[in-house]
Amino acid sequence: MKKTKTYISALLVAFLASACSIDNYPAPDAQLYGTFLDSETNEPVEQDIIRGSQIEFIEHGYSSETKQTMLVKNDGTYRNNLIFSNTYTITPVRGNFVPLTPQEVTVKGETQLDFKVQPYIRLKDVKIEKVGSKVVATFKLQQTVINNVRKIGLYVHPEPSVGEPMRTALAEQEINAATDPNKVYKLELDVAANSNVLKAGNQYFFRAGAIIDAPESKFNYAKAVRLGL
Amino acid sequence: MRLLHLFLLLPFLSFSCRGADDDDKKPIEPKPVEEVKYDETGVLFKSYKGLVMAGYQGWFTAEGDGAGRGWHHYQKNGKFEPGFTSIDFWPDVTEYSKTYNTAFKYADGTAAKVYSPYDEESVDLHFKWMQEHDIDGVYMQRFVGEVKGESGKKHFNKVLANALKASKKYGRAISIMYDLSGSASADMDFIVKDWEELQKQFLLFDNKEYPQYLRHNGRPLLAIWGVGFNDGRKYTIADIQKLVEKLKGPTKKASILLGVPYYWRTLGNDTENSQLLHTVIKSADVIMPWAVGRYNASSYTDIAGTHLPADIAWCKTNNIDYAPLVFPGFSWGNLKNDKSLYNQIPRGKGDFLWQQVAGAKLSGAEALYVAMFDEVDEGTAIFKTKKEGETPLNADGKFVGIEPDLPSDHYLWLTGQAARWFHGESGFTAQRPVRK
Repeated sequence: MKKTKTYISALLVAFLASACSIDNYPAPDAQLYGTFLDSETNEPVEQDIIRGSQIEFIEHGYSSETKQTMLVKNDGTYRNNLIFSNTYTITPVRGNFVPLTPQEVTVKGETQLDFKVQPYIRLKDVKIEKVGSKVVATFKLQQTVINNVRKIGLYVHPEPSVGEPMRTALAEQEINAATDPNKVYKLELDVAANSNVLKAGNQYFFRAGAIIDAPESKFNYAKAVRLGL
Repeated sequence: MRLLHLFLLLPFLSFSCRGADDDDKKPIEPKPVEEVKYDETGVLFKSYKGLVMAGYQGWFTAEGDGAGRGWHHYQKNGKFEPGFTSIDFWPDVTEYSKTYNTAFKYADGTAAKVYSPYDEESVDLHFKWMQEHDIDGVYMQRFVGEVKGESGKKHFNKVLANALKASKKYGRAISIMYDLSGSASADMDFIVKDWEELQKQFLLFDNKEYPQYLRHNGRPLLAIWGVGFNDGRKYTIADIQKLVEKLKGPTKKASILLGVPYYWRTLGNDTENSQLLHTVIKSADVIMPWAVGRYNASSYTDIAGTHLPADIAWCKTNNIDYAPLVFPGFSWGNLKNDKSLYNQIPRGKGDFLWQQVAGAKLSGAEALYVAMFDEVDEGTAIFKTKKEGETPLNADGKFVGIEPDLPSDHYLWLTGQAARWFHGESGFTAQRPVRK
């Protein structure tokens, strides 16, 4: 019986040891980060963290060629601190900019990879201010492609990552036309009418955006503005 | 012990030997090949940028024109008579001084006539029209499958001679485009030889003889159409890579425009999935993606809206120039024996053409390729053709006319408006201009 116990213990030790060896692969040892930059203005291109532009990457050396994705933060930056040193095919996809071609990138240590992009729409001369019981946004639109502008919107949320997919209140307008770069667009959000979600005395983030009518396109935005109500 | 000494000495011996060798073999510097420099004095078109040029098929012949090729590209199954033709649009030959009677008749019983580009006066008229309407010029198509044969070579050389003369007379840009459709790998050497022959025969690069031959990046521009298509061609992208190297030569004597499929950048749809295509494109100077049949008026914005600027951005990054193709419409019912293909892509009185012109301009394009000046088989011609209701009879089929309320030079005029916009004139928008 004692012998059997010894055997079982030995087997257990062997099993645990083998389990340990499987777990002993090296951890991701590199970081990949960067910013989506407007190719004309060199300014970061604002994004949505939820349902926003994504970065697809395929690690070389595996026959499966599995696509992995990274999200982009609202300010147009992204960062992956858990990536293996290797060569990757990297493609920003489903974005608010003119499509880019996949590129081969060697990731090693701290690797910076910025994407120069042509945003579908630039929001210009943006003003968002409280006027009486309303928050009023005015801006011009500079579209860089011939497609129609589908919609414009003003979005509100307590967090700075406000956007069309993340808002507690909104004011939108359908456009469905090519826009005149000199026209001033105006959106008004009635604070009183949204008093169930917008509490007086609280701070909120407001962000104006517009979306182009193109397959898989995402909203283009101006920077979010913080206002106290 | 002696052996040990020998081993100890060996490294020194071998070292000293190598030293002696180094002295003997002084690296021979390859003599740098000097790139050819062209005298551009008096040259009329130093860049494709800012120009609107059309493709010129010039492949038609008529019985009795002296080419000895019968009704080439008019006929079908060896006959050019009602029910047997490959053309959908009928050329309007009112202004031609030399025409040919055909077996086709108008409703009133009069014989319908055609022209032949084998005749100098007909080609002259075409270039006169280009000048009248501000169209910058044409790319003369040179079909490898045709010029390999004696009669084809005779024909296309005659048409080229006609065109060189007329383009000089009217100050229109001219360049040559090899169309590789139907070619095989073995034909690449033929192209190199043919191109050398042409340069000598016509003094193509002589700035005094032909100041209107198109230059780009300081060199004469030669176009090669048909690289990267996934339609089962008998030559490869690697063949074209070698061809481009040979045509440029070590002295880089020509700039190259490549005609590529529409989805060249994403390597999908009509394009072979091979990264080598991008390598070859990067070795060229200009690309022109083939857009005929890739969209119509209703699908244009969805397809080209983001595709065009993405193409242009790629080309800018890689320092390649980009000429989008625009076409007025498409019709090949007679060619394909299928009545449902008459007006397959309707012209909309020029709305479709202008939609593409504006799309290209607003997306940042700097030059245009118009398909085509005289292509009546596939119904993309911009030159003067008969109007709907005034075309000859065609047994139980028909000919597609241009819209009856338009003047027959409408598409020439509209192409000329595009040229003026690309030349930098103001006042043009996405709205098709109105003729006053």
